[in-house]
Order: sequence, then C-alpha cells, then structure tokens
Amino acid sequence: MKTETLWAFWKRPATYRVTLPKLMAVAYVLLAILASVIAPQNPYDPLQIFAWEASSPPGTVSGGGYLYLLGTDGLGRDILSTVFYGLRISLFVAVTSTVLAALIGMSLGVIAAYLGRWADALIMRIVDLQLSLPTMLVALIAIVTLGPGVDRIILALVIVQWAAYARVTRGVAMSEASKAYLDAARLLRLPPWRIIFRHLLPNSIAPAITLIPIELGHAVALEATLSFLGLGVPIDKPSLGSAVANGFQYLMTGQYWISLFPGLALFGLIASINFVGEDVRRRFDPRSL
Amino acid sequence: MQQSYNSDPLLIVEKLTLKTSGSSTSKTILRDVGIDLRRGEILGLIGESGAGKSSLGYAVLGLLSPGIERSAGSIVFDGEHLEAMTEQTRAGIRGRRIAAIFQDHGASLDPLMTVGAQIAETVRAAGTKVSRRQARQRAIELMARVGIPEPETRYGHHPHQFSGGQRQRLVIAIALAGNPQIIVADEPTSALDATVQKQVLTLLRSLVDETGVSIMLVTHDMGVIADITDRVVVMRQGRVVEQGETAAILDAPADPYTRTLLAAVPRLRLSMLPPPDGSMVCAEPPFEAVLRVDKVGKTFAGHGLSWITSGYRRSALSDVTVSLQRGAITGIVGESGSGKSTLGRIIAGLETASDGTLDLLGQRFDISQSGRRSGLLGEIQMIFQDPSASLNPRISVSDTLHEAVRFGARGSTGDSLSILSMMDRLGLARSLLAHHPHQLSGGQKQRVCIARALLTRPAIIVADEPTSALDVSVQAEIVTLLKETVAEQHVSMLFISHDLALVQALCQSIYVLKDGVVEDQGDPGFIFSRSQNPYTRSLIEARPARFTH
Repeated sequence: MKTETLWAFWKRPATYRVTLPKLMAVAYVLLAILASVIAPQNPYDPLQIFAWEASSPPGTVSGGGYLYLLGTDGLGRDILSTVFYGLRISLFVAVTSTVLAALIGMSLGVIAAYLGRWADALIMRIVDLQLSLPTMLVALIAIVTLGPGVDRIILALVIVQWAAYARVTRGVAMSEASKAYLDAARLLRLPPWRIIFRHLLPNSIAPAITLIPIELGHAVALEATLSFLGLGVPIDKPSLGSAVANGFQYLMTGQYWISLFPGLALFGLIASINFVGEDVRRRFDPRSL
Repeated sequence: MQQSYNSDPLLIVEKLTLKTSGSSTSKTILRDVGIDLRRGEILGLIGESGAGKSSLGYAVLGLLSPGIERSAGSIVFDGEHLEAMTEQTRAGIRGRRIAAIFQDHGASLDPLMTVGAQIAETVRAAGTKVSRRQARQRAIELMARVGIPEPETRYGHHPHQFSGGQRQRLVIAIALAGNPQIIVADEPTSALDATVQKQVLTLLRSLVDETGVSIMLVTHDMGVIADITDRVVVMRQGRVVEQGETAAILDAPADPYTRTLLAAVPRLRLSMLPPPDGSMVCAEPPFEAVLRVDKVGKTFAGHGLSWITSGYRRSALSDVTVSLQRGAITGIVGESGSGKSTLGRIIAGLETASDGTLDLLGQRFDISQSGRRSGLLGEIQMIFQDPSASLNPRISVSDTLHEAVRFGARGSTGDSLSILSMMDRLGLARSLLAHHPHQLSGGQKQRVCIARALLTRPAIIVADEPTSALDVSVQAEIVTLLKETVAEQHVSMLFISHDLALVQALCQSIYVLKDGVVEDQGDPGFIFSRSQNPYTRSLIEARPARFTH
C-alpha cells in the first residue's frame, strides 16, 4: 500500500495536537514573512542606524526612542531586527534549496530506475560519490567553485542534498517499475517521458517525501555554518549564521549579546524544524502506524 | 472420512458480530455468525473476498486487526469463553492449543534461522521443561511427520533451501509443535501448484485422522472444500449462508448463493466428446497463423563476470515453438516456474529472448532486442493476473483509457466515442469513468484492463492468468467476456493459465509447458482424453475429482 501513503495521509482525519515545536515553527515562519513589518528598524538601511549607539547592551533605549531589547552590534544595528531579517534569509535559502533538491533528486532517481543500464550507472555512481564525501566538504568545494551570492549558496545546497532523494526514490521506482501497470504502459508504447513522469514518479516519491522535513533542518544548519565561516550569503544579505559570526570577535570583550541571540534563534529554528519534521515523517511512514 | 459426531463441539461461535470501530462509519464485518467445530474434523469456511471468512478465523485466534472489535456474540473454546479471558491467557492458548497456518509460507518462516531451530523453538515455547535435546528430537519427528525427507540432515537448512510445498509443510510442523487442539488454516494451499496442493491437503487430512486435531480451513476454492472437508460453512458478506455436511451441500445446495458458487467452478470434462467450441472452429477452413515463435530459448545469466557465473546459468525456456491461429484462443498450461509467463512476455516484447524467431502477420521481429527497439512492443497487448496492480492507482478510468488511444503508439484512431462504445461492450457502466482504481471491484478493474488492451486494436492479446486473482463468480464472467471478445473483435489470444478446466473451456489448441520445455500439445480433445503424456496425466489427476467428469 506504499503507493497510497500520500493519499491516505491527506485523507486521514485531522488529529493535530498543538505542541511547542509546532507553535515555534509557525511563529518562525510568520516572523520571517513579516520581518520588515515587525522589526523595530531595518538594520541594513544606513539612515536608520546610529553608529554612536553601537554595542549597546540589551535593554538600552535608543535615541530614536525605541528599545534595543536585545542590544545592538558593533555597527549599531538592533540585534532583534537582525534576527528577524536573518531568519528570513535563512528560511528562504533552506526552503528553496530543499524543494529544488527534492524535485531534482526524485526525478533523477526515477529516470535512473526506468532507463537502467548506463543512465542508471552514471546517475547512481554520482550519487555514491556524493554520499561518500562529507557534506561540509562538498558544500565548501561547491561554494569555492561557484563564488558568492544567495543563488550560488542555494545551488551549493542543492548539490549537497539531491543525492539522498535520488537514492531513496530509485529504490522504490525499481520495484514499482516491475508492476503490471508499468508493463501495460510500455505495451501501449507511451512516450518514455510520459511513463516516467506520469506513471512512475507519482507512485515512487512517498518515501522520499518523508526526507524533506529532516533535510530542511540540515539545510538551515549547513547554510548557517557556511555563512558563519564567511562563505555563505553575502554581507549585505546576512542570515542567522552571518549574524552569529558578526558578534564572534566581540565575545571575548563581554559583548555576548551580539552572537548569543542570533545563535539562540538558530538553535530554536533547527530544533523546531526537526521536531515537526519527525512528526510529519511518522505520519507519512506506513511502518509507524 | 465420515465419522459420528456425537462428541461435544470443541469450539462454538455464537452470534458473533464484528464491526470496525469507527463511530460514524462503522462497517459490519461479521453479522450473527454461529458455527461449531467438532473434535477431529475439518470444517471448511468458504466464500468470496469480503465474506468475512478470514476475519472469523482471526477472531478464533484472538488476533483481530486493530480497528475491528466484537460488538456481540461469543466464542467458546473447550467450555471457556475466549472473550472473557485476559490477553495473557489468550496468548497462552494461541500457538499451543489453537495454532495457525497462513497462506504465505515465505512470510511464516524466519529466513535467517534454520528450520529445525524454528520448530524446536516452538516446541520449547509450548511445553514446559523440554530440554534442547528433546526439542531437537521432537522437531525431527515433526519434520518426518509432515513428510520432509531426511529430516536429520535437513534440520540445519534454511527456508530458502526448501521448495514452496516443503515450506508449507514446515509451517504445518511448527503449528503442530504445540500439540494444538485446533489449527486455523487460512488459504494454506492457495500459493501452491496444483500437484503440490494436492499433497499438502492429503497431509492435512491424514493429520486430522491420526491425531484427532480439528482444522478450521478458510478457503475460496471449492476444490479444496470438496477434497478434504467434513463439513462446510458458506459465507457471504459477513453472514453464514448455509452450513452442513460437505457432501450434502455439494450434492444439494439449498441456498441460491451456494448454487451460484458451485456453478461457477470450472469443470474438467474427460469424456471423449470434443468441446463444443473446438468442433465448431475445426469445421472451418484451415487456420491461418497470425503468430509463430520458433525455437525460443531464454537463459538468465548470473550477474557479474561471465566466466565465473556461467555455472549458474538457468534456462527458463528452451526450444519452444508455438503458433497462434487467427481468431482462436491458444492455451499455455503449466505450473509455476514452467516459463509460461516468460514466454508470454517475450511474445509481447516486454522481455528479450536468447534464441529463436518471432513472426507476426508475416513480419519477422528480432526478439533478441528490446521490444521498443525491434518495434514489437505495442503490436501485442497483455492482460495481467492482478488487476489491482495493472492500473495506475492515481489515474482515473477515463484518463487510463484516453491515454491508451491518445498517447499509445497504435491508438491514433480512437476518440471518446470509441471508448464509450468499448465500455458498453465490456459491460462497464459509463459512470465508472470518473472513478479511481481503488473504487472499483476486481472484476471491473479487469474489464478496464481488457478495454485498454482492445482500444489499441491489437492483432493478438496475451492473457496471463487473467482470472486467478478474481472470485469464482467473477472469474466465470471474465472468461465469458474473453471468449466473446475474441469472437467479436477478430483478435487472437494466447491464454496462459495453470487451470486445466479454464483452458479446456476456452482454448482451441493447448501447449503444456514444464520446466521451459513443451511437454505436450494438441487440441483439447487430444490433451484431455487421449494424451498419454505422464505429466499431462498428473496435472489432470491433481484436480479435485468432484469437479472432473
């Protein structure tokens, strides 16, 4: 009944329990979308920043009249606003790259399974190669080769992530391809692309879909790591990772808040994604029923 | 077989009603079912899918699937109410005093454990204070009892080293290990070949006669019922339709449903009359061959380096020559592993052959190449065994059929009108167009598959066991439909089956396949009456005597 997992999932009566991770996840998404509306200042608009208020500790009241709830960084940017804006970049990069990686990985997995022979060998050897190298290494090589930019880091994350989807999907598609409805499609001599994308793909992706929430958490963490190392998103579009890096040099001087609060936000984001992801995965996975 | 039943029933099921536990959408699985099982008898539960016969078996085992609960009635085993017991007490009974045999002998055995250890484990779990040596001794005895040759040596073998029939015997040995009073056997022989099925049934009968164990035998096969049961319970849609002595019910069924079931069982005629269809067709001018495959061979090479694996080459087909006449149905009969499905797939262009030639309507196709490359794929259509697997679960009937005409290589002629008229002809309601496969019955699904195949106007249809996944009454409908289709649409058909009676009813010429070689061939009159081939004879003799005339 694997093929009906997705369908069954949607049809299952909603028995949602509200949990802290779920509330947090919803809150994070809302904050990211509404960042420019709720943030007290736009930390990347020079006109809104007052350099003389740099490195104010949490709770300082600004000359502009509002409260620096979480303090300011070395350039006078409000940390709370930095967190909201950083959240937006982090989530955008992670979601986009995960969705693209899933689409590409699933498609290549199905194509490998259907075509077999050299196409299968080629795609799966690349997958093997990719999965045998440490994720971080692949990401670093990709970034160094591709250069900086939000689109480049998304591309780098896609390169890191697609292989897992391809491997899982290929396995399912291989067994699905031996079913009679695929033989029937072959006997009609339907065009190969039609067999692959209309018949094979929709019936083979359920297990790979359960990877998405987990990979999303990985993507956030990986992007933050890259940005912390200064290899991620560019300076003018900082993510949570870059915000943590931004305060790193001040940690020794006691200005803990510059790194701490973005770091906590990042921690909460990844934790809530992982908790919710696990929940979603369980609901999808027929073995857990 | 007939004994006096004056002893008390061992198991009494009274007014048992089972329902699914959804509050609003509660469905009744069993309604007011009352049966009793006596000591030392085989009680058959027969019915079509959805009759509730398996649920009844599971209820006796105390193994209702989650979501199904008892809403009324009781099960009394040896004077005790099963439903009043704690789960712990029930678990103590299960496997010891009430044992089970399931259909899938592959899934009933642990592939990583030697079969001897599995039986010995059950012996030790069931009895108190059995030493390892005693358990081993008992396991070997049990293996000998169920007819495993050389049980001492085979004790240490793993399940995959046994044949299907032997595996089912081992499962029976495990069931016997706890010295049960009742064995619930759910379709114990459905996965086995006819000749092997016969042997396993004989084993079950002899166990009952010698040890006095009672067997509750769940089956859909009237042949099994006729062969070994003492009494039979006919079930339909969760109710008991009729019950009584097997012989009495088979001779004089009281309920119309039982009569329908019996009438739908294919019967084999062995008397010298040629079948009516055969004689009619034979009177016509000589057949014109539409398809001829000559000396087809297929070997599966092991994976890897050829000079190392050459010893593992397995020949699935060798030197098979078959020809199909226009407008006729040609039957391929054989047991599992005979290569009959492989032959069908090669002819349809789904698999490549190692040797041989194929001529279709005067044109030669290279069958050593993939069907798409040689152009053979698409010329011939197939109907498969399992209609549920033959339809994409995510695509509606309408889209499935439209796809065949619009995107199929041979479908350009079709429009929605031809689809509708095809549906009418095959007895499919037009309202089904919007349905998805899971909303259709097995028979409807198979009709959709037939419609899909016919819409491309193939010269030949290969039907690979098209009825064996269906209920008997539906089977009969599909067989009639196939027969009419061949007559009306001027197609030829290759009908692959393990069921001699079906082949006899349908085919004008028959090939008997064994281990990839044509053992016997001829028209039905020859095969069923005059052929002296020992294999053909053994196939015929494995049929239940009751349904062979």
